[in-house]
Amino acid sequence: MTALATPTESWLAFQARLAANETAKGLRLMWHRRGMVVVGLVMNAFTYLGISLFIGGGHLVEPLMTLTLPALLAVTVAGTAALQGSGGIAEEINGGTLEQTQLSPTSPQVQMLGRITALAVEGLAAALVLGAVFVLAFGLAYDPHPAAVLPALLTIADALGYGLLIAALTVRIASIGAITHVLNMVIMFFGGMMVPITVFPAAMETVAHLVPTALGIQVLNTTLAGQPLSGAWTDGTLPWLIVHTGLLLTTGVVTYVVNIRRARREGGLSPR
Amino acid sequence: MKHDSAIELSGLGKVYGRGKSPFTAVEPTTLSVPWGQVIGLLGPNGAGKTTIIKMIGGLVTPTWGSVRLGGHDVARQRRHAVRQIGAVLEGSRNVYWPLSAWENLMYFGRLKGRRSAEIKPRAQQLLTELSLWPRRHQPVGSFSRGMQQKVAIAAALITDPPILLLDEPTLGLDVEAARTVKDWIDHLARQEGKTVVLTTHQLEAAQELSGRIAVIKDGQIIADLPTGQLLDRYAETRYTVTVAGPLGGLDGALPAGAQVDTRLDSTRITLPSDNPDDLHKLLAHVQWHEARLLSVNQARPNLEEVFIRLINDDQTAGQVKERM
Repeated sequence: MTALATPTESWLAFQARLAANETAKGLRLMWHRRGMVVVGLVMNAFTYLGISLFIGGGHLVEPLMTLTLPALLAVTVAGTAALQGSGGIAEEINGGTLEQTQLSPTSPQVQMLGRITALAVEGLAAALVLGAVFVLAFGLAYDPHPAAVLPALLTIADALGYGLLIAALTVRIASIGAITHVLNMVIMFFGGMMVPITVFPAAMETVAHLVPTALGIQVLNTTLAGQPLSGAWTDGTLPWLIVHTGLLLTTGVVTYVVNIRRARREGGLSPR
Repeated sequence: MKHDSAIELSGLGKVYGRGKSPFTAVEPTTLSVPWGQVIGLLGPNGAGKTTIIKMIGGLVTPTWGSVRLGGHDVARQRRHAVRQIGAVLEGSRNVYWPLSAWENLMYFGRLKGRRSAEIKPRAQQLLTELSLWPRRHQPVGSFSRGMQQKVAIAAALITDPPILLLDEPTLGLDVEAARTVKDWIDHLARQEGKTVVLTTHQLEAAQELSGRIAVIKDGQIIADLPTGQLLDRYAETRYTVTVAGPLGGLDGALPAGAQVDTRLDSTRITLPSDNPDDLHKLLAHVQWHEARLLSVNQARPNLEEVFIRLINDDQTAGQVKERM
């Protein structure tokens, strides 16, 4: 009548296994709502086409699309992480499973790492499909440059940091869904999906740099155009991208931990 | 080394809210539950039962005091403490409805740090015993409420924890499903020696399952005794006399406070106390009026009666009446 024996493995391996369990659950849940994922994908594609036609005055301007398509992909990752992340947490609070997940020997932050990994897979898979469709359908040409790898990874991390923060806020703010939709629209507009943020007026460009994924897309477009990373470092966009990403991720994790502690204090882990 | 007590609450209390309107959900409570005991926490809605259960599981942070599970402090040694428990919580699904029963059990087993290979035989055993094996790959959302609750119980048991927290496990279940769940709790307690903390509004079930009852009112435990002792101490033994036909001339012979239940072809009289003089007088009148006596019974003490007495007795408020 005793609990099964404690496994003998390193702390890190143990934590990794529990994070992987969260990821696997997240992916299984995503598979069960795959219809919604496909609908979201199609909606994103048509929204992007509509915006591109609007900006192009009724025409699809391929050089412009080459610059804005990476932003669409970033928006897809960020939007998926934020909407599915907050939706998942809200569903778990209302369903009572968030409480059950707390009966675990691992920490909330490790569990969140697992969750965000699943959201990353979902968002990246959707982004890859969208990217492939647009590149193939419109013959958009990109020159894959090794220098683009770092900003691409940072942009993904930035997008996930945003999703993490929104998911973390969901523990505290029940009506976060409406706010998330507004924020996603802001990212769509100021993140470079309509036009590259470099064409904005200087003040507007500065504000846009605060928006998740915007800096990443700017640096990514610079490197995809064949310029080295040193240029992005010199003009300050790469350092700010690193700071922005680090801040979003840290704020997301800290907010989640603080909100879970607060929910335990106030009995907020169960249905509201 | 196994600790003496499965659960130890030391001055455990909870105040919700801050500032001008704090609400004391649980007054400082000290309680020790030995291994293998089933303790029923009973109380009206809002008494603090669920808060106590959640503080035991570390899901609500106490304002005062501490909880130890198998000797592990829930706040300081959470990693070890949570391995000791499985929980079915009130008013929630407890498991993921889009996932299958099998996927849920695998997830909750790994959540506690187990490996798939360790969990699979246990999952198979639980699903078979709970008659869920044929539908193990179907989404839990497609199950009846009773089956969903069985999955929740199986998920709580997947790592074979020695302590179970069951908060209203039969809530919302039909009679048959509630019976199945009750039988399972009985099996877990008697056959597997689990320590169970049970809250329920089904007092008959609580009486049947619990070896010990703690009654909570306004966040305070007002009685905490082995079930038998509680019944002996608080239940009034009463006599019931059943005669054929209507009450007739016996009406004037009844002591004050007697309850009369008139049926189609008989009348049942419940005397207000266990005073044998009242019974003898009534039986003498039955003979005098030549009424046909059908039965004389001593009513069995009933937890519901005790519970209502304790809860409605204003004098118990603010003081611990009986403690183990």
